[in-house]
Amino acid sequence: MSTPSAPPPCPHLAAHRLSSRPLRFLRRCLRVRPLGRPEIRRDPRELPRCSPCAAASPSQSPRLYACLSCAAVFCPSHAASHASASAGPGHQIAVDVDRAELFCAACGDQVYDPDFDHAVFLAQSSSLLPSTSSTSPSPAPRKRRRVDYRAWAPDPAEFALMSSADPTTSASAAAPAGLRGLNNLGNTCFMNSVLQALLHAPPLRNYFLGDRHNRFLCPRRTPVRHRATEADAAKVACLACDLDEIYSAAFSGERMPYSPAKFLYSWWQHASNLASYEQQDAHEFFISILDHIHENIKDDQHKSHAQGHGDCCIAHRVFSGILRSDVTCTSCGFTSTTFEPCMDISLDLDIGDNTPFGVANTKPHVRNGERGLAGMNSKVSTLMRCLERFTRAERLDAEQKFFCERCDERQESLKQMSIRRLPLVSCFHIKRFEHSAVKKVSRKVDHCLQFPFSLDMAPYLSSSILRSRYGNRIFPAEASDADAVSELSSEFEIFAVITHSGKLEAGHYVTYLRLNNHWYKCDDAWVTRVEEHTVRTSQAYMLFYVQKTLYYKACERAAAV
Amino acid sequence: MSSSNDAPLSPRSQLALCCFEELLDCAVADVASECHRIARLGLDRSVDAEEEELRVWAARAAAGAEHHHPGGGGAAEEAGAGAGSKGGVDVFGQTHPAIAADVIKCMNCGRPVVAGRFAPHLEKCMGKGRKARAKITRSSTAGRTRSSNGITASSYSPYSNAANTNRVNVPNGVTDGGCGTGGDHSSHVP
Repeated sequence: MSTPSAPPPCPHLAAHRLSSRPLRFLRRCLRVRPLGRPEIRRDPRELPRCSPCAAASPSQSPRLYACLSCAAVFCPSHAASHASASAGPGHQIAVDVDRAELFCAACGDQVYDPDFDHAVFLAQSSSLLPSTSSTSPSPAPRKRRRVDYRAWAPDPAEFALMSSADPTTSASAAAPAGLRGLNNLGNTCFMNSVLQALLHAPPLRNYFLGDRHNRFLCPRRTPVRHRATEADAAKVACLACDLDEIYSAAFSGERMPYSPAKFLYSWWQHASNLASYEQQDAHEFFISILDHIHENIKDDQHKSHAQGHGDCCIAHRVFSGILRSDVTCTSCGFTSTTFEPCMDISLDLDIGDNTPFGVANTKPHVRNGERGLAGMNSKVSTLMRCLERFTRAERLDAEQKFFCERCDERQESLKQMSIRRLPLVSCFHIKRFEHSAVKKVSRKVDHCLQFPFSLDMAPYLSSSILRSRYGNRIFPAEASDADAVSELSSEFEIFAVITHSGKLEAGHYVTYLRLNNHWYKCDDAWVTRVEEHTVRTSQAYMLFYVQKTLYYKACERAAAV
Repeated sequence: MSSSNDAPLSPRSQLALCCFEELLDCAVADVASECHRIARLGLDRSVDAEEEELRVWAARAAAGAEHHHPGGGGAAEEAGAGAGSKGGVDVFGQTHPAIAADVIKCMNCGRPVVAGRFAPHLEKCMGKGRKARAKITRSSTAGRTRSSNGITASSYSPYSNAANTNRVNVPNGVTDGGCGTGGDHSSHVP
């Protein structure tokens, strides 16, 4: 819920809007300085001064207001007198000349007006026209029409039918469907933990259980007798087929642990550089298998995975999102924007160095100290703080000067990341393993991470980040459809947590799954039920969130199955 | 930043101080204005929600720690190959050994392997890893000449002939008679 909504205007503002001339004249006076900071100046070189003050002391107050009715300039201490002394109504509303904010001198408070904000926003975007602003068409031009979500719940008759048909979902079943241990084949807990998370990723699970990739009909599998040489073996093994087999095994109803030996064999045939009997990194494995699934089943006609549309394969459809990267020149404000697809988001663990003020202070919310939680902060990081840090504007090093097209030379710059499109399943990878190239040593960061079970990604979306960069102005509905819809579906629910315990070289991965609102711990072959606090206090390494509401793409064809 | 009353400041210092104060006021006013806008426009709801979450989390973590410290085993993780919870049963009422006892047929060589040792076996079997050599399996040698079997069939063996010639010459005093293999020399017994 991060779209700014205009609060009801104070009576003075309302009266002013009705009676006085429109704010059109202000648009001429709006000048935008570098980095989008708007100010009110009738003349570019004008230096406003407080007239009552000028006579008194030479020191100037930092805040100056210009009356909207008579353009008199005054400082806050003289504001009230101007509002009451002047003859006639309408002198209560003034504008902060350096910040372009409306001020009601009678109320003594800052007030907000959508039309004024719109004017400011237009001035800002027109000043930055050469670069992409949020009103320019998005680089992914395809508009996706979506079907409106209508909530549905089964009525008693339907519910009875559902429970009778599938024994695993009935109340008498001991455990939810698909819950099954995976045998450790020798240091393969990294593989088991990721497989457990994938087994219960709703879109991926539905895809395989819905027979969308049938291992018996997959064209990439050729019968054994046609296999000419050993070299062709790698092409024959289809990881998606092997994954299909694991889904069948997990959801078969069998409760004895399953050994994913065939999957290991196939994966080693694909990723020969990682094929060895030693402990591996779960995140590396995760990326590796998504990559190989893509290679196996990608549809060569769809080159669109580069744009993150996810039409190439199920792995991208489920996990691929788009990140937006803005690099801004600090001297002229020119911004260069690039988009890149991502399968997951790797976050640094910010260990208690809570510096709430980024360089340009463009964060959507500013902390004013942690009241009452001061003792916790040094050791506890939160996922949301990590995400804030990820989307914070960072000043790039002096060595990495960015070539600004407008200035035509290398300048110091700010870089800011944001999420352009959210994937169906968001995977967050917490960087717990630090490799220091200088000291040639690696270590594990053990700090605890607090993470919510319900996550709203709205503050980290490009639309929110851009809006806050331009001062959180209220402006009319977003230009591009995709942005507007993504605001609706930015709520996520957690379903799997992969934790790591132990040291860097000798550690153990365990997956916690949330099924039917209960938490289960999957420790290789051992599946046990655990309480929430066990999950909350574990050392999260990878977090999996799924979109709470899935939207169906409207079908262009008239007659659809 | 000292508003010291020690000595009167020089005009230059006064000016510098003035500048600094103005910049500071400006910065503070910026922040105040932004925060005011964020609060009024309802953009800061997530901040409160997050702090609430953190408070709840801290409370639950503390409560959980109290419960589990005497217990010990429940949340304790083990490094290494993973032995799971000690004692007790899993959610289906089963128990499992430390090393999985399932027997799997290796896809590479066809031999039965214990599941818990499948990965090291496969590593050697496929020829990956450091010390492994790829095993010669039926499939890898199909179609090639069987050089390993050729040694016995061929006549390339220096030792077998020498043995024959030596054996012939062993009996004393018997020379030239009945000896068919290259009797160029004969030993004469004086």
